[in-house]
Amino acid sequence: MKTLLIISWRNIWRNPQRSFVMIVAIMAGLWGGLMAASLAQGLMNQRFRTGVEQEYSHLQIHHPEFIKQDNAKYVIDKREELSNHLDNDELVAAWSGRTIVSGMMGTATLTSGVTIKGIDPEMEAQTTFLDKNIIDGSYLEESARNPVLIGRSLAEKTKTRPGSRIVLTFQDLEGELASASFRVSGVFQTANSYFDETNVFVLKQDIGQYLGKEMVVNEIAIVLNDLDQVSEFARTYASKYPELEIRTWSQLSPQLAFYNELGSTMFMIILMIILMALAFGLMNTMLMSVIERIRELGMLMSIGMSKRRVFVMILLETTFLTLTGAFGGMLVGYTTVHIFQNKGINLGNVGGDSLTDFGFEPIIYPELAPSYGLILPILVIITAFATSIYPALKAIRLKPAEAVRQE
Amino acid sequence: MKTVIKTTNLQKIYNNSVAPVKAVNNISLEFQEGEFTAIVGPSGSGKTTFLNLIGGLDKPTGGEIYIDGTEISTMKESELFDFRLRNIGFVFQSYNLIPVLTAKENVSFIMLLQKRSKAEMEQRATEMLEQVGLSDKLNSRPNQLSGGQQQRVAVARALASKPKFVLADEPTANLDTESAFNLLDIMEKLNKEENITLIFSTHDQRVIERAGRVITLVDGSVSKDEVIS
Ligand SMILES: Nc1ncnc2c1ncn2[C@@H]1O[C@H](COP(=O)(O)OP(=O)(O)O)[C@@H](O)[C@H]1O
Ligand SMILES: [Mg+2]
Repeated sequence: MKTLLIISWRNIWRNPQRSFVMIVAIMAGLWGGLMAASLAQGLMNQRFRTGVEQEYSHLQIHHPEFIKQDNAKYVIDKREELSNHLDNDELVAAWSGRTIVSGMMGTATLTSGVTIKGIDPEMEAQTTFLDKNIIDGSYLEESARNPVLIGRSLAEKTKTRPGSRIVLTFQDLEGELASASFRVSGVFQTANSYFDETNVFVLKQDIGQYLGKEMVVNEIAIVLNDLDQVSEFARTYASKYPELEIRTWSQLSPQLAFYNELGSTMFMIILMIILMALAFGLMNTMLMSVIERIRELGMLMSIGMSKRRVFVMILLETTFLTLTGAFGGMLVGYTTVHIFQNKGINLGNVGGDSLTDFGFEPIIYPELAPSYGLILPILVIITAFATSIYPALKAIRLKPAEAVRQE
Repeated sequence: MKTVIKTTNLQKIYNNSVAPVKAVNNISLEFQEGEFTAIVGPSGSGKTTFLNLIGGLDKPTGGEIYIDGTEISTMKESELFDFRLRNIGFVFQSYNLIPVLTAKENVSFIMLLQKRSKAEMEQRATEMLEQVGLSDKLNSRPNQLSGGQQQRVAVARALASKPKFVLADEPTANLDTESAFNLLDIMEKLNKEENITLIFSTHDQRVIERAGRVITLVDGSVSKDEVIS
């Protein structure tokens, strides 16, 4: 076996030019594949992270009727007990209770439909880092009079700036139309411009006052210390508070769950296409090398080298060729990803705002799951094996007597 | 004397051309242990076909082949691979060696296929290459050797496997006169000193007289079978 390994390895260098071209092709293919896959993965991971961090959190709790009717009068029962519970739960990293009211935001010239969220600035900052997303003006302060935070795209659309006055119109808990004047204290921007255009944040007590009740909590968003404990956490609280609806991020946004899967699926698809293209090149190379060696292979089988050994030899040659290229490609690929992992690749220059329109950040940080380092060589070896079957069969189907006669 | 090879009414007809070709036509021959035989005849007379048949590389369309009393024409293909490996040494006109292995590795390779011990391989490969006068070329690759030297390595390899007989199909066809004589010298010496049974084909008048027995083929049949003393 050892000699067979040596022969196979040396055989691929008999035509160094051809092998070199093949190896470079495999390297380039894998490098391209890894780059594309890591960008896709990075993009999806970012979308997932921003989605979970800035919009949905790990879990949310509502009154079941609130989900159906979206009416602020459906508040969370047993609020006191629940907040106590959450404060003392070791799994919980942060949580934030919100008032959620659908309404209109109006300026002198324009009105726009928005979701008004009444928050406790401190708790919201810990839960969604909203304070970190302020790009103009300042975050909500308890001392200010009726402050409001609006998103960047909404600010641009309504031509408002920090200091501008706006009017929020909504139904109070009795169903009566209420209107109140707010002053823009800051403008925020998340990765999702649609979110920015449709959400405004005010102080919980301010909105409560207009709704007709001091503490109106329609939604509790929770962030856990460990994302993996989400389902278990949801089960525990669901059994403790059967009258409340508790949903995980994947139930809140099936889209995010889908993105999460999409990253790895895209990696597989890209890889399959590349490996398939390489398989054809590889097969061609190996067929040529078999055809060039008909007499030599005939000689080997004549003197008694078994077909099994000849088969293994061709298989090993293909595998060596492929693995050499794959190793090089992975080395270059992982190095490139490593370099750009922290620096990021700015696609904003290329794609403009289209990425943020879909909730993606313009700078992509390529990512590769370490497990790919294992999956990839396995797939490459499988490809090499599959590819070598035809040329190897061709080789062992040679009739020794005829092969040695070949002119 | 012991009969190593015996053919009875051996026949090979090729049917793939316009008219069937009787490449080997009713050949009944015996080869004794220690014989040094030349198969001669013009191109197309059936030399290669005959050697391929008794070498177990090809199946006859009629007749029988006995090697050491064993009928081989009925053997399965996979059995023939092993049979060739253990019983027959081959030297071809060209492309005898594995280009990526040294002379010594080439000679060892066949013993490796026979699953001999490492120590034996090592010792015997060196010994055989000494016998053919190449002790200074043990580590040379085929492309660093002349055509004559390559053929000598092939002879060394054929003998290293301790075969019952060695078949050489036109071993001198690609060699200059000096190398051809040199190769025949070595084959003659091995035949005399080691009692190796050797059969080679040639249409080269220069080397025929070295053989102890000359069989002439014409159109697939034996036209002359003479022992030269
Ligand atoms: N595979 C084949 N198919 C058809 N005819 C063949 C084949 N191989 C050899 N022959 C024919 O058989 C005859 C004997 O050929 P061969 O044994 O090669 O003769 P030699 O070795 O004496 O030159 C020739 O007429 C040749 O054309
Ligand atoms: Mg011939």
